[in-house]
Order: sequence, then structure tokens, then C-alpha cells
Amino acid sequence: MENSGKEEYKIQSFDIETQQLLKTALKEPSTVDLEKVANVIVDQSLKDQVFSKEAGRICYTIVQAEAKQNNANVFRRNLLNRLQQEFKNREETRGRSLQEWVCYVTFICNVFDYLKVNNMPMMALVHPVYDCLFRLGQPDSLQNEEEVDCLVLQLHRIGDQLEKMNVQRMDELFFLLRDGFLLQEGLGSLARLLLLEVLEFRAGGWRLSDTAQKYYYSEVSD
Amino acid sequence: MSFRNSLRHQEQRTSDDSRRKGPSRWSHCRKRGADGSLRPHDADPSVLDDGDRDQPRHADSRPASFTTPESDGPLPRCADWGSEVEKDELRTDVRRDMQSSDSRDSPIPTEMETDEAVLMRRQKQINYGKNTIAYDRYIREVPKHLRQPGVHPRTPNKFKKYSRRSWDQQIKLWRVKLHAWDPPAQEGSDLQAIEEIDLDDIMETESGASSSTESGTSSHYLKVVKAPSSTPEDSCSGTPNKVMRIGSEIEGSFDLEACLNEVKENGNWLTS
Repeated sequence: MENSGKEEYKIQSFDIETQQLLKTALKEPSTVDLEKVANVIVDQSLKDQVFSKEAGRICYTIVQAEAKQNNANVFRRNLLNRLQQEFKNREETRGRSLQEWVCYVTFICNVFDYLKVNNMPMMALVHPVYDCLFRLGQPDSLQNEEEVDCLVLQLHRIGDQLEKMNVQRMDELFFLLRDGFLLQEGLGSLARLLLLEVLEFRAGGWRLSDTAQKYYYSEVSD
Repeated sequence: MSFRNSLRHQEQRTSDDSRRKGPSRWSHCRKRGADGSLRPHDADPSVLDDGDRDQPRHADSRPASFTTPESDGPLPRCADWGSEVEKDELRTDVRRDMQSSDSRDSPIPTEMETDEAVLMRRQKQINYGKNTIAYDRYIREVPKHLRQPGVHPRTPNKFKKYSRRSWDQQIKLWRVKLHAWDPPAQEGSDLQAIEEIDLDDIMETESGASSSTESGTSSHYLKVVKAPSSTPEDSCSGTPNKVMRIGSEIEGSFDLEACLNEVKENGNWLTS
């Protein structure tokens, strides 16, 4: 049971003490310092790419547990406000470390995916997430494979939900991506492939047709 | 590159001020500190940050409120994602309730309260009452079908039309009645960090007004406290819902300041 917990939430990368803290937070959130828990999770998400892709899930569980245990939102509030802080500093983060920036975007999108409010995505995150994706679609970012990769990954994961929340911005994002694909000088072939795939993906209603699937992925799948 | 062409500059801040407050805002807006002394007035109505954290204000020229495609009216700008989501949740709770076909106590459609701001405020007041140990014990002890009108407290119906005073009165009475289910008295029980519940915000406590019903009620006023958004290191690290007993005589209107002073004397940590 211990191991499956670790596996599911991918907390193996934390030290033992922190793992314990997280495990307790998952079961009895009111007994721990939730601000600290939020910071621990955010800090790790910015460093660890694997964790940033799945940390939304552990956040979701803690939020549910806290709501159930004592009808409170302390963790969620701390998490969001910390996310907001990082959002404000994103340009600086990007300048300092592409990896950290990419991890941040992955994490905030993951949170958007998992943390719902009355079964709806959190409205407060819609514009910030779009802002991040727009940033990734800028000419300088398109030159970097890891940023393009991050961009298309997020669109695959949450594109449809994001579009439902605000169609106009999604349209504009895709104008940008088309422009990038067509006009950008010095775009690597992988970047162009990724962009083409995501253009087709959205055009197909956020799913890839069988033929497109074959084209893009036949060599990758077993 | 944030808010888009759909933004319209709206001058709605005055009416929205009372709505924008979240738990972390109260300490900024209170006229008096926890010790009763007047605060210096440096209130910036657009500051929505948690007073405990020194977040640098993001100086920008974005409009104070905006309309986005997915909203159906101007929204005040919340600088704080935490509060914004909480408000979002309150709003969707209220909307969901509106659609819920619990017709047991439905008012006549034409006479229903539909103003979202009012509904949200009322729901918040109801949430405070339901978020108590007394309420928990009450609903466990007395299932709905056994409840007798007059004897058992009944949650005011937020969809019915009432004046502000009338509504606030009902809430007060309801909460007073719920005290009958408070857990057994324990002097000096665990007093943990509390967050000020701004009753001024919840009820119209004009001094001396509308509170004649409180006279003669229990001499101990039990207050349920919600977890603070951040805890200093030397206080508890937990964030439980606690019932705190304040041993002050309550007569007439509820004196929040006195309660807080009482608490402070007990050596408690208070958000400042």
C-alpha cells in the first residue's frame, strides 16, 4: 500500500520526511501545515519534470480531503496564491532557466486539469494558462524544442477544456501557431512536426484522425 | 498579453467592494486592530492580498473590472487567485442551487430573490453557520423528517425575498438556536489560531441595532473558527475547525471587539 501511494503520486523524489508530510496531508490535512505542503509541492514541480506532469493529482486529493475533513480550503488557497506569485515572475524564471519555466507551465496546466470547482475548471486560471501558452508560441520560444514540446503537450492535455472556457483566445493562439509554422525562420524540423500535428489535432476536434495517428505515431508505438 | 479586446472598462468598484472581500482581506479593512486600537487608515480598496504575506503589488494599468466572454456581467478584478476561486465556487454553488428542484420550500417564482450578489452574500452567511460543530451535531442528531418547526432550527431560505435587516435577523436567530447543539462545555479547551470572522460583514451591526433578540441568551457565545490562510511558526500548524468559547457576557448587540480582547487575554494568537 505504501508503494502504490508513492507510485501514484510520484513522491519518491522527495526526502523521507517530506514524503511523510505529504502522506499525512493526503489523509489528515488539518493536522499539517498546509502552507508548507503547498510550497513543497510547488517547489518540487519547478525542479522535477516528471513530478510537474502529475502533481495536479496529489493537489486534488489534498483539496478533497481538506474539504471533506473540515470544509476548509487552506491548501487550495495557498497553492493558488503561490502559483500566482510564480506566474508574475514567469518572464524572469524563463530567463533564468528554461527547464524551470517549462516545468511551471506543465504544473499550472496540470492543476487546471485536476482542480475543478463544482466540476468546472477554475476560471481564475484560464487567462493565466493562455498567457503561458501564448508565451510559448512566441518566435523566440518556438526556436527551443523543449518549449514547443511543452506547448503541444499542454494542448493535448487540456486544449479542449481550455477552448470551452474561451474560444476566442484559442483561435488567436492558433493564428499564432500557424504563423509560426509557416513563417518562422530557423524552426527545427521537430518543432515543425509538432506544430503540424497539433494543428491537425485541433482541426479534428481535439483528436487525431486514424490516418494522422498513423503518420505521426506509427514509428513510435509498438 | 493578458486580457483581450473583450475587456471593457467598467466603473463598478463601489458596489463591488463589499463583495470582493475574502477572509484574508478583513484584517486590512478593519477599523481596529485586535487589541482595539484604531488602525492607521491606509486602506487601498484595490488591495486584496493576504495581509500576512508581503507580496509586492504588481503595478499595472489593467482595468479595475472587466467582462470576459464566459461571464455574463462585469467582474471586479480579484488580484488574488485563492479568493477568486473561492468566489467562483460560491457563485457556482448558488447557481446550482437555483436550478435544484427542491420544491419543498420554493418561493413563488415571481417573488424569488435572484440577485446573484445578494444570494452569494446570503450563502456565505449560511456557510458560516453550517460550518460549525454545533450544526454537524444537529444534523446528525435530528434527521430532517423529525424536525419540528419552531423547535428545531431551520436554515433560512436564501431564495425568498426579505429585506436586509430581516434576513440578517433570521440568520442571527438561526445561529443562536444552533447553539443548543454545541458540544459540552470545556473551559480552557484547545484554543487554536483563529481567523477573524467579520460579523460586521455578515450582519448589519449598527451599534445597538436589530439585536434585541440576543438579550437574555446564553452568556457564553460560541464562535466557530475557520483555519487561517497562513499560520505563523509558533502557533498550531493544524487548520481544524474549532469551537472556541469566549467567556464574556453578551447583552444586546454582539461585541466582536470584546470577544477578541477576551481571546487575546487568553494568550491566543490572532491574525493582525
